[in-house]
Amino acid sequence: MPAPPARELTVMLVDNEPARAAIVEQAMIDSGYRVIRRLENAKNLTEAVTEFQPDMVIIDIESPDRDMLENMSRLTKDNPRPIVMFAEEDDSRHVEAAIRAGVSAYVVDGVNSGSVKALLQVAIARFREFQALRSELESVKSQLEDRKLIDKAKGLIMKHQQCDEPAAYQALRKLAMDRSQRMTDVARNIISVMELMGGSK
Amino acid sequence: MSQVETNTIQNAVPVRIGFIPLIDCAPFVIAQEKGFFLDEGVNVELSKEASWASIRDKVTFNLLDGAHMLASMPIAASLGIGTIKTAMQTSFTVSHNGNGITIGNALYQQLQNLADSSTDIRTGVALKRLIDRRSSELAPLRFAIVYPYSSHNYQLRDWLSRAGIDSDKDVQIIVVPPVKMLDSLKKGDIDGYCVGEPWNSLAVEQGVGHMLVTGYEIWGSTPEKVFGVNTVWAEQNEAIHLAIIRALEKACIWVDEENNQPELLNLLSHPDYLNCTVEQLRYGFSAVKPKGQFDWPMEAYQRFSGVDVNKPLPSYALWIMAQMYRWEQLHTRVSLNDVAEQVYRQDLYCKALGLIEEEHIAWRLSANEERTWLESVASGKIGLHAEGILKGFK
Repeated sequence: MPAPPARELTVMLVDNEPARAAIVEQAMIDSGYRVIRRLENAKNLTEAVTEFQPDMVIIDIESPDRDMLENMSRLTKDNPRPIVMFAEEDDSRHVEAAIRAGVSAYVVDGVNSGSVKALLQVAIARFREFQALRSELESVKSQLEDRKLIDKAKGLIMKHQQCDEPAAYQALRKLAMDRSQRMTDVARNIISVMELMGGSK
Repeated sequence: MSQVETNTIQNAVPVRIGFIPLIDCAPFVIAQEKGFFLDEGVNVELSKEASWASIRDKVTFNLLDGAHMLASMPIAASLGIGTIKTAMQTSFTVSHNGNGITIGNALYQQLQNLADSSTDIRTGVALKRLIDRRSSELAPLRFAIVYPYSSHNYQLRDWLSRAGIDSDKDVQIIVVPPVKMLDSLKKGDIDGYCVGEPWNSLAVEQGVGHMLVTGYEIWGSTPEKVFGVNTVWAEQNEAIHLAIIRALEKACIWVDEENNQPELLNLLSHPDYLNCTVEQLRYGFSAVKPKGQFDWPMEAYQRFSGVDVNKPLPSYALWIMAQMYRWEQLHTRVSLNDVAEQVYRQDLYCKALGLIEEEHIAWRLSANEERTWLESVASGKIGLHAEGILKGFK
């Protein structure tokens, strides 16, 4: 039997996080793969897969539309099947790594498993990178919010106790230490109590 | 002194349990929110998941220890159907029933024109007539289910098949997530669906479609969701596993208590859980259903509590495997008895609740009978008793 002609692997990306999708797509193109379609929401996911016949679909593990793909291999034999089905034939560690990184994938039968693994590696790396970026952003954001809360509570104490800023800060710190609470939690309590008493106006 | 103080917490690292935001995740939410897990000395972390596939993958690779699962899922995983073969098991059925088949208004009108009586519509006879008369150039009628390995898929196919409709050739069956069912029906993307509540009642209430038949009328009373766990985890953490079963049992009783309904709906509607309005949840639990063409028999309502509901029956695992065989999902030869016994663990259910386990092996098929039994289910010669799995097969 003649070997099937070699051809490039085509990928469909499904991700409702446009920024991440863009990063992943670029990384794949850089690695020499062809991304034939990027879908932000999977409204017509099954139609799109039928129409474009990708070798592989990469989809965010948290997408509620994943289950739509689970049934596809029944509709046509050539449709992609969940990658966990292939984990048995291979070592399953790369599949586990993908799932841990939030990447899930569907692959058609007969695709070179080396290419699938390499492609998965690219997606995993970018998903992790994006996750790191996002948690960093979130921590910066929450730090900012913490500072705003503390400032507001300080202002309320200054007004109520008619003291200066360092004294208000000390009072807040002491309260936090006495109650072994975080400064922000104490600040939040002070603000809500003052609001209740109408003192925050 | 409360039980919380008497029971020390057994696990420092919380048990991670996944759930899908559907009404039948209620026992998990209640066990957590009402402190039933803690009462049993177990620290649990609930994790909201977006798809059944995600639950399967995460339990397979130990990102979750167990989950709210479709009753067929631990069987599919243990057989390696649609996934890498991973031993999973259940010792606790969370709910029975609650499914219905609903079709859109346009299809309903066509069926009315072809039906001699309303029975013709409910039994699929009118649908068969329509399919026979439809031009083959038209795209096939489309029905949606929630997952390939689900009671919804098997009940829909069974219902179609009884009317002489080939569920692979005469219609197209696709997967649509439950929350998108109603919208897809409205837009005409699908012609009908088989799904749990409240999506059947909401279609009726909003005048989008008509519910034809309930899952109960197709299969009698049968398991819908289970507490499925990774078997390796269950073997390494038996005390914790059994404690969780006790907590879930209490939660199921709490959920079925009518007086608790306002609090139940309130808790479930929270953004951490179903993230919806209380009104949307009402049809999932209340005895009141919207007035439709056909009524819900009381037996068809979802039930959560009682030994009849919660005890896993290996006979149901046999039944599910026969469905998988019938609809060409199960291709390899397996020992049905062994799989049923390993996956549906009534022994652990009894152990957890201190019940005396009756030597109950009547469900077993004789070893040389397995193949013919599968064939008989596939051809419709063997079915479930009209009242459901508790009464066995007929």
